[in-house]
Amino acid sequence: MRKFLLGSTVYILMFTSIISAQNKYTLSGIITDNNTTETLIGVNIIIPELKNGTVTNEYGFYSITLDEGTYKLQISYLGFKTITQILELNADKTLNFKLEESAERLNQIIITEDVEKLNIRKPQMSVNSLSIKTIKQLPVVLGEVDVIKSITLLPGVTNAGEGSSGFNVRGGSADQNLILLDEATIFNTSHLFGFFSVFNPDAIKDIKLYKGGIPAKYGGRVSSVLDIYQKEGNNEEFHLNGGIGLVSSRLLAEGPIKKGKGSFLLGGRSSYAHLFLPLFDLDNIAYFYDLNTKLSYRLNAKNSIYLSGYFGRDVFSLGDSFTNTYGNTVLNFRWNHLFSDKLFSNFSAIYSDYFYGLTLDFVGFDWESGITNFNVKYDLKHYISDTFKLEYGLNSIYYKFNPGEIQPIDDNSGINPDKLIDKYAFENAIYIDAEHKISDKLSLSYGTRLSTFHRLGQDELNVYQDNNPLIFNNDLQVYEMAEPIGKESFRRSDVLESFTNIEPRASLAYQLNPSSSVKASYNRMSQYLHLLSNTSSPTPLDVWAPSGRFIEPQILDQFAIGYFKSFKDNAYSLEVETFYKTIQNRIDYIDSANLIANDAIEQVVLNGEARAYGLEILLRKNEGRFKGWLAYTLSKSEQRTPGRTAQETGINNGQWYNTPWDKTHDITLTGTYELNKKWSINSNFLFQTGIPATFPNGQYQFNGITVPVYEARNSSRLTNYHRMDLSVNYNPRPDSQKRLKGQWVFSLYNIYNRRNAANITFRENRMDGRNEATRLAIFGIVPAVTYNFQF
Amino acid sequence: MKKSILIFVLTLTFVSCEDVIEVDLNEAPPKLVIDAGIDWFKNTTGNEQNIKLSLTAPFFDDGVEPANNGIVSISDTNGNTFEFIEDGNSGIYINSNFIPVIDETYTLSVIYGNELYTATETLKPVVPIDFIEQKDDGGFLGEDIELKAFYTDPANIENFYFFEFLSDIPQIPTLEVYEDRFTDGNQIFGFYTEEDLEAGDQVTIRNYGVSDRFYQFMFTLLQQGSEEGGGPFETQPATVRGNCINQSNPDNFPFGYFRLSEVDEVIYTIQ
Repeated sequence: MRKFLLGSTVYILMFTSIISAQNKYTLSGIITDNNTTETLIGVNIIIPELKNGTVTNEYGFYSITLDEGTYKLQISYLGFKTITQILELNADKTLNFKLEESAERLNQIIITEDVEKLNIRKPQMSVNSLSIKTIKQLPVVLGEVDVIKSITLLPGVTNAGEGSSGFNVRGGSADQNLILLDEATIFNTSHLFGFFSVFNPDAIKDIKLYKGGIPAKYGGRVSSVLDIYQKEGNNEEFHLNGGIGLVSSRLLAEGPIKKGKGSFLLGGRSSYAHLFLPLFDLDNIAYFYDLNTKLSYRLNAKNSIYLSGYFGRDVFSLGDSFTNTYGNTVLNFRWNHLFSDKLFSNFSAIYSDYFYGLTLDFVGFDWESGITNFNVKYDLKHYISDTFKLEYGLNSIYYKFNPGEIQPIDDNSGINPDKLIDKYAFENAIYIDAEHKISDKLSLSYGTRLSTFHRLGQDELNVYQDNNPLIFNNDLQVYEMAEPIGKESFRRSDVLESFTNIEPRASLAYQLNPSSSVKASYNRMSQYLHLLSNTSSPTPLDVWAPSGRFIEPQILDQFAIGYFKSFKDNAYSLEVETFYKTIQNRIDYIDSANLIANDAIEQVVLNGEARAYGLEILLRKNEGRFKGWLAYTLSKSEQRTPGRTAQETGINNGQWYNTPWDKTHDITLTGTYELNKKWSINSNFLFQTGIPATFPNGQYQFNGITVPVYEARNSSRLTNYHRMDLSVNYNPRPDSQKRLKGQWVFSLYNIYNRRNAANITFRENRMDGRNEATRLAIFGIVPAVTYNFQF
Repeated sequence: MKKSILIFVLTLTFVSCEDVIEVDLNEAPPKLVIDAGIDWFKNTTGNEQNIKLSLTAPFFDDGVEPANNGIVSISDTNGNTFEFIEDGNSGIYINSNFIPVIDETYTLSVIYGNELYTATETLKPVVPIDFIEQKDDGGFLGEDIELKAFYTDPANIENFYFFEFLSDIPQIPTLEVYEDRFTDGNQIFGFYTEEDLEAGDQVTIRNYGVSDRFYQFMFTLLQQGSEEGGGPFETQPATVRGNCINQSNPDNFPFGYFRLSEVDEVIYTIQ
């Protein structure tokens, strides 16, 4: 609260000082790509003589307030020609710029953030941006461009092994990532159980990953924010582009609704239905598809509206014995409004849902579960002066959780219909965040977010003896579910439990010299939703559970410090960061926990904690024919769930254990070499410490089967993981003036065909009864070819 | 689900591979394993029972050692005590005058290596298997034989079932546990499929009545062992504790379980 008051005080002070100041004028405008008409995010607007400047926001808008005068203005963005212009600032001015792509078409942007000198000074750290062009160049398995897989090449980002879904940031779990597609929350990012991600690369403009120092604007997840923006579509000309790959094909159309003002974008992607099941003439299907749409309309100089939608589904069925469908739906309306040339606002109203359906014919049931939410956000960015900016806003989310409903498929089914009790919650937040340039060398950003979470009334809620849903059986040394002693019913308007958290955020940057700086940050965040998953990476049927009477919200504290340097005139840059974070109230499951169709999850969970710390190094070459980066992460990520009393064992005897994605060393080398206009070569090399696993240290015979005896959880490791990938891009006619342009991408994943273990299973061979360890290696060498076209 | 489907999907793409590898494992000191299943088959007297005591062994050893020279007995609440005498050095302890009574509570006592182990459990009844249904086009590829052993769950009481399927093909039995949470009062089935089953093969199907605790125990055990490893709702591997307590030295807890069940058995010949 104190920070909040401080922020407000500063705000008022600054505001009055602005009003009283003389001869200050504001320059503002929107910067777009001249070719595609897309607004550009993160363009630098620099006034070299003042060593000052600003960058465009998520909607391409910028604003800067300066003393009256004549300045040289530089507009620069990697991959585009820099515009230099003399500006006579003697009144408030609006200047919209259209940037031309630089001549070397293949001179791709590697990482746009922190490249320019300006960013050396910016009090923002632990952020990586990847342009979609870079993502499209990375060699990938089966040639399928994948946003989520690409970010795991960055330092501090990893996953729980090949074929696992989601990603882990700085030791956090996959459900702790806030994933926003055009500001709407995406609950499940995977297609085909984790092999591909739900984002169609053609429809995406820009992605930004916040690993730490997270601005107060964001909340609700504790580990990271992945902010993804869809393209608006070309408002001058109609264009079609797409690609044909081994797994899926894509097609995207964009064009004007009204020239220069409105545009549409419609993109679809689908995998081939019988992709994985070509050998059998059975009615088996496994496919996914997604649909991205966006309508953008510029009403006038001060107002723009956007309507965007996403719909994706996975369908998996085996004859008629098993059918599984799941996916996200997102619908989003946004309104950008300029109150003045200094005050930018965005209002978003978002509907999103996640659906999971399963039909098991041989057991005779239908299962459906999901989560629905309505989300309203109002964000304002106030460019008060050239040294002070404020962002403030509010956010309200209403959730409805359907933990599951089971239906018999016909009269012959032995299943009784059942409905798990729906749960409801209401999450609210207000925030204020200041970016404050104290001197030429020192910049600060500070702010706070005040979040509240109300668990609303539901039809039935279990009541337990002594309010204890989980009993420890001291004789047997096991946890057992408590029998509820009754049930309470509530009206929807009742509040079962409320939580309020103040989440301060702060970071500072101190410039050592024009090309280097040190930065530090702290952020506290809270997360009110928990993903119930007892597998190491999320699965589609995992259920989100809200905090409530028995489950507390997760609270994170993260500290990070870093050193940033650019050298050889920005051709190279180096970022070194170290972080430490702790998470309270990380829940874990008792050993026999059955999370599926469980109406009283409190009976199988215990409260624990998590912590992670590490060092990240990112060395990049940003310019020239050879570009790329070397990322190294040294880290530790662990979790602990002690007993509630001295008698209780907790989980894993209350000892710290490695999280399933803990990798001590993680090295990535990524490079692109532009041979000539037609050919370019891209390559990755990865080395990672093997992921933790639980191995047996004995066996016994029971009831005719062999049972392994396991040692402490995650105390062993799989063998180290390494592989090298290669891809070649071929543009047959780079200088062609024809509208139709094609590109071939040939790729080889895991060139030297290493059998990296995805897991090791210890089991009894069913035929000869002997025990064996079997290694599952998911991808050996995988060649692929993709054809992309633009029209 | 994830892993099994994943493995399945991948197997078909020819890119994944599964192979047997060498792994160096730690070896824990041996512990006592109590495999005490008292099975009262329907239409028998249930007098003859046996209990197996063995020791844990390193994971890759070819077998396990019996636990010899234990003193084993079961007592009921009517003051009867049934002594189980070891058959040679087999680790199998036998009694021929056991008196099974439905819903009776029994206490097992084992003295082994100067330590006393005890367990208490109730003998659970079971409904008979109504009939067997055979389907010839089951499995992912529609080529496997599937059996469903139907039984009728008694309404309005919580029941737990333990199914055992034994055929000549694999060395090890297929075990399943079921609860009646979604099937209370209905006719429902135990499910069995085996890849190479052919007409003429015999399958022994047993349905055991078991307690809630045994259900939880076996459910967890099966997820971790060979049978259902990588199953849909897979939990993290962990030590699975049964219902036997080491009274002399609680930290040296035994593995295994003391279970008493009424059993219905059907021997089915594949059509």
